[in-house]
Amino acid sequence: MKRGKATIICEVKNGSYSQYPVPENKTGTYVIELLTKRILALGASQQGQFLVDCESYLSHPQMGTTKTVHILHNSEQPASVFSILESGTKNIHVIADGLFDLLMMKLSQHYTSKKQTKIESKGPRFELGDFCVKLGSVTMNQNFKGILVEVEYRPCVMANAVWGLLREFLQGLLGPTVPVQPTQHLMSRMNEIYTPIDTIYQYLEHFSAYRKVTGMRNN
Amino acid sequence: MSAANLAPITATDSLSQALKANIIPNQEYLLQGSVLDSAVEVLLHRLRGLCDNVDAGTETFDDQEVCFSLRDPNQQAAPLMLRVRKALDARDMPFQLRYIGQPDLGDKSRPTVVRSSLDIACSGMLIEFLNELGCRIEFEYSVKGYMFRKGRMKITVSKVFKISQSSMSPEPISQSYLVELSVLAPQGQDAIGEDMRAFADQLRPLVQLDKIDYKRLGHMS
Repeated sequence: MKRGKATIICEVKNGSYSQYPVPENKTGTYVIELLTKRILALGASQQGQFLVDCESYLSHPQMGTTKTVHILHNSEQPASVFSILESGTKNIHVIADGLFDLLMMKLSQHYTSKKQTKIESKGPRFELGDFCVKLGSVTMNQNFKGILVEVEYRPCVMANAVWGLLREFLQGLLGPTVPVQPTQHLMSRMNEIYTPIDTIYQYLEHFSAYRKVTGMRNN
Repeated sequence: MSAANLAPITATDSLSQALKANIIPNQEYLLQGSVLDSAVEVLLHRLRGLCDNVDAGTETFDDQEVCFSLRDPNQQAAPLMLRVRKALDARDMPFQLRYIGQPDLGDKSRPTVVRSSLDIACSGMLIEFLNELGCRIEFEYSVKGYMFRKGRMKITVSKVFKISQSSMSPEPISQSYLVELSVLAPQGQDAIGEDMRAFADQLRPLVQLDKIDYKRLGHMS
């Protein structure tokens, strides 16, 4: 099994900075620039950009209960396609090579893409000692939806062992009042060996929440 | 901004670039035949003499294959077939998920069967995934044999077994070995078919490799 590194993805909610409240009329770019300045001041260096994207496919109505296949890509694992099938309460995942995208095209009679909900998080990627930090602006169909900050602590493979450290780091970066909560998926995997699919599940949970709200999230 | 800090290309873009450049091996050129158990040693001997990957002894494989079908919701097209292969002799290897399209036999001048094919390495809960996706298991079998390479060509000599329900040793479905000569290549590389035909001719006294028409076989049974 491929091991990953304990990673947490935290949502930056606009207006939750006590010191630097995001003005109503400012864009995500403003927040990204602000966080970039802070992280560079801590001594981090920018190491490229990152991109995580997600496209969801719905089963044909004739096929019975509606099922959703989420296809995600992460620039950190550029040769992989992550596929999560949501069926009722169950989630089943498969990690495949790049040709899986072509297979989804073959399945177009059975599963159709909800193009208007194509969503991605993209932005600068920083390294700071053992930490890797990614500041992503989330856009759905070219509309800005919010900001997700991913922090990875690379020497550790179990989330539970490093949870306190990750929270402290994030609160140091975003401000002490920012609530840092593990997603539902991560909660159930706190004592397991962390793998890249765990990061994907975290993004999917955040993306699904963004899709449910119209416009920008304000609280 | 330095070049290293440029935005990564999206997976969709890199896929459409690969499609445009026609570098995705999505066509399978195929010839098939069979030999009786009693004659297989002679054929293996000949292949050891002709092929590339024989220095460290003959390469063997032992796979289990499950074939799934996914019915067209509009009931217009034939069901989509998906095959999953798992190596029984290398259990930590990923699954191989395979889509195979309808074989195109062409006319007499075409040297091999050509069918569209997607070979995808997968890990995770693939069988459960396909079941939940709406696929139904059609059949399964295990296949055990030898694999040879000659340039881009792959030659397998294998025996097909029924999956045994008990701990008894699996039962072969026939007294012969299946011989397949195949190449996966991007669209339009038809010249490879001629190479395959030439190689098949070198094996001709021992095994006759041909374009097998499954539709005709179906009528015979």
